[in-house]
Amino acid sequence: MTLFSFSEAVALLAAILSVLMVGSGNLRTNLLAYALSTAAIALVAGLRAGILGESHLLLIALAMVVIKALWVPWFLSRILDRIKVYFDPGTVLAIPIAMHTGIVLMGISYLLAGRLPLPVDGDPVTGSTTASISLLFTGALFMLTRKTAVSQVVGFLTMENGIFLFALTMARGMPLIVEMGVLLDVLVAVMIAGLITFKIQKSFEHIDVTRLTDLRE
Amino acid sequence: MTDWLLFSIALIVLPFLTVGTIRLLKARLQNRLGPPLLQPFYNFFKLLGKEEVVSNDASWLFRFCAVANLCLALFLALILPWLSFKPVFLIEDLFLAIYLLALLRFFSILQALDAGSPFGGFGASREATLSLLVEPAVVLSLAAVAVIARSTDLGDMFSFARPHTLHDLTVWSTAGAALFLASLAELSRMPVDDPTTHLELTMVHEAMVIESSGPNLALVELAYALRLVVMFGLAGQCFIHALFCVIHPQTSTLAIISLLVIFAMILITALVETVVVKLRWTRVPEYVAYAITMALLAAGGAIMGRMT
Repeated sequence: MTLFSFSEAVALLAAILSVLMVGSGNLRTNLLAYALSTAAIALVAGLRAGILGESHLLLIALAMVVIKALWVPWFLSRILDRIKVYFDPGTVLAIPIAMHTGIVLMGISYLLAGRLPLPVDGDPVTGSTTASISLLFTGALFMLTRKTAVSQVVGFLTMENGIFLFALTMARGMPLIVEMGVLLDVLVAVMIAGLITFKIQKSFEHIDVTRLTDLRE
Repeated sequence: MTDWLLFSIALIVLPFLTVGTIRLLKARLQNRLGPPLLQPFYNFFKLLGKEEVVSNDASWLFRFCAVANLCLALFLALILPWLSFKPVFLIEDLFLAIYLLALLRFFSILQALDAGSPFGGFGASREATLSLLVEPAVVLSLAAVAVIARSTDLGDMFSFARPHTLHDLTVWSTAGAALFLASLAELSRMPVDDPTTHLELTMVHEAMVIESSGPNLALVELAYALRLVVMFGLAGQCFIHALFCVIHPQTSTLAIISLLVIFAMILITALVETVVVKLRWTRVPEYVAYAITMALLAAGGAIMGRMT
């Protein structure tokens, strides 16, 4: 087994971890699963840096671990402590059913990945393409089936992970400046979303996004 | 010949040693001294020498089921590939193993119902629900492995002969995770059932064997220990095959690794039983959903592997 197929397996592991994330209503468990999945994607980026000989990917992998796998979960769990919300009961679909839907979506993304053109002179990248499309679907599924504002943030970040992995697979990563810009955006977005969550909790005494359409409280 | 000798020793020593190790490790993790490592052996021989008390309402089935369970558990231990050095038999079919597992559950439920005590009935109804939930995970993950091996013969499926690809790594590791999670539920271990509690209302396995005593209880405990080590070993073999996609150790190293993997699972079980609380009965399906998810992933991976 080569280093390349090992990196493919790690990419699939990241997708599986994010599917497992959909199966828990505990927000801390969700954050842990998100952190592990992000760390796995960073490992993929690091391995690809070694395989393709592109050192800037290594830098991005390091920044990903620090910002997205460590700082974001820590910051969001601090928000959870401040607003004292630890559980998301879910909406639309029951939580275990949502997880099983995630697997069906993973199968669909395998079929989609087979139809995409392979990168030029590339190795077979079906594994990581499947993983990236599946991460996109899983993030969307997570945002659709959850109630709390923090879950929306985590789902959004999962989708962002999918886009990063897709770029890494298909275009061997973006230029360093673009990736750094995206990471900065994520950093700011999470900060603002955290502040807004806190404000919503303070003014409405709940962070249930399905009830935000009410004009009066 | 050495295979047979080693396997016979493992078959005699490992089941009670596994139970003893779990109890000892758990006690140490909870800052207790704990029973000696060989306590299950002592218990077994003590129980064999005791007088047996059978309920007046029980029929011949009550004692028959204990013996039938032990025979089935032994048969399963002989055909399921739970150690890498297990000698190969003629009739190692996947579906035979699955139906034997179901038959084993059937006889333990029958024994619990036959004594006519209300606790036995409680336990039996819960065990029936649990096995209904867990069975898809076990069947799907083993079927996924059969699909990538293109054979339902357990000896062929778990042989270290075929080349292993990325698909195989995914299937083996997810199938192993599914089997481990399912075996925790099936063997009434911690997240689903507390094996040490004395409150019969909350238990599954202990409530079912509450009417057994003396030699009957000894047989029941031996059958349970065999089931435990066989299920852990089976999940462990899946993980070893996943490892086999990356490195290719010698046969003797494989034997040591398969023992180490069982020990690792014992350690995980002891850790889980120390830090996790028992799930409320209505939330058990949420736990089993994880096992089924892993099994579905394994099945999906296997089918995708066949398609390409």
